[in-house]
Amino acid sequence: MRGLLGWGIAVAAAVLVGCATPPPASDPDALADFKAANDPLEPMNRAIFDFNSGLDTVFLRPLAQAYRAAVPQFGRDRVSDFMSNLNSPVQFADDVLQGNMSLAGKTLERFALNSSFGVLGIMDVAKPMGIPPHDSDFGETLGVWGVPQGPYLVLPFFGPSNPRDAIGLGADFVADPLGIYLTNRHMKWLNWTRFGVDAVSQREMYLDFLDDVQRTSLDYYATMRSLYRQRRDALVNAGKHDVEAVRNPGHFDYDTSQ
Amino acid sequence: MTVLLRRAFAALAIFSVLLLGAAAARADQGADADDGMKFLRGLADQALALVNAKDIGDADRAEKFRGLFVASFDIPEIGRFVLGRHWKSASATQQRDFLKAFEDFTVLTWSTRFKDYSGVSFEVDGAAPADDGYWLVDSRILRKAGDPLPLGWRIHRVDGHWRITDILIEGVSMALTQRQDFASAMQANGGKIDDLLSAMHKKIDELRAGK
Repeated sequence: MRGLLGWGIAVAAAVLVGCATPPPASDPDALADFKAANDPLEPMNRAIFDFNSGLDTVFLRPLAQAYRAAVPQFGRDRVSDFMSNLNSPVQFADDVLQGNMSLAGKTLERFALNSSFGVLGIMDVAKPMGIPPHDSDFGETLGVWGVPQGPYLVLPFFGPSNPRDAIGLGADFVADPLGIYLTNRHMKWLNWTRFGVDAVSQREMYLDFLDDVQRTSLDYYATMRSLYRQRRDALVNAGKHDVEAVRNPGHFDYDTSQ
Repeated sequence: MTVLLRRAFAALAIFSVLLLGAAAARADQGADADDGMKFLRGLADQALALVNAKDIGDADRAEKFRGLFVASFDIPEIGRFVLGRHWKSASATQQRDFLKAFEDFTVLTWSTRFKDYSGVSFEVDGAAPADDGYWLVDSRILRKAGDPLPLGWRIHRVDGHWRITDILIEGVSMALTQRQDFASAMQANGGKIDDLLSAMHKKIDELRAGK
């Protein structure tokens, strides 16, 4: 409890220190940019982003590189297939909560096929049978329910987020049947191992992409912010079956002649 | 003939003219869609031939890539969009310098990405009209390993030639991402275009050195 209080104070202090100063009302264009970025905690977010990047450089990225060097593509595919199969129960719940019964059915079918014929999920046999995997999480579910992203947030360790997706992350974690089962069986360590392996596996998949983003952007932080927010909007639009909004997000709707 | 009947005929005549016009417009649009898809297919064929060509040197390949890129992307329009509100306040010289640097920057960015595309194939799935004469073309890049990568292209005609103004990857606009990247870089440099230009030149040198 005391620890929690300490955290609360630390976060409150960081929020106070970390507030960005909005441009004056006399500069409406600058103010519009500020609002478009929706990042009132930018100084704090940048500090956490730098912290995460440092951690990534010395820890996660080298691990992911070693993993790529040691394990061939076939083996890595087995690991990621296994990991995403473990996530199926949570994904199923989110599909249902989004009211997307056809996707929920697909998740269920995939789970049944992959857990059995796919040998406990290490082989995604459902994909070649025409049932490809999809993303769904509770942050997206909240989005489908109409909750906006809110201001941009960078979470320690987890990276780009926002209040909605941070709550989603927590909810998915708490509601995960496998996590609950392992905790009850006093095998919490196994659950943490699972998240560790998942982190390395996912980081490996993003190695080239993130290297490329860093190499080709002027401001890595701002580029990641833009990518994250657009991608999350696209996922929510897909969850709402708004095919047109996914195809044409309408980014050019605002005046380009300026 | 009664007045009523005459009116009815007139209405019918107008209606059929409108209907014919709409049909013609639709046929026109259909032709436009086919034409836009043909443009992207042709571009992909040329680009993939360039990536897979074994008998040309790196310098020659880079030169040809630039030619292809500059001829198919509407770099002035993308540049204006990316610079956003700062475009207007820039002087004519700054605008020219920016577009030149932006061209170098974009060509280098995509040519390094493009190197990984040997052995892929490209499929165009369809085209739909967007606003103001723009078209959105759906396509997929089929890789040897991994799932197909869906790519959307925002294109329009400039002086009768198709030009690309944006690439959309799973709902994420490359032009918007770059606009927000540049806006932030600009702000960090005190909102001055000349400082943005030197940041761009530094990046261009890095990209050149990296290849």
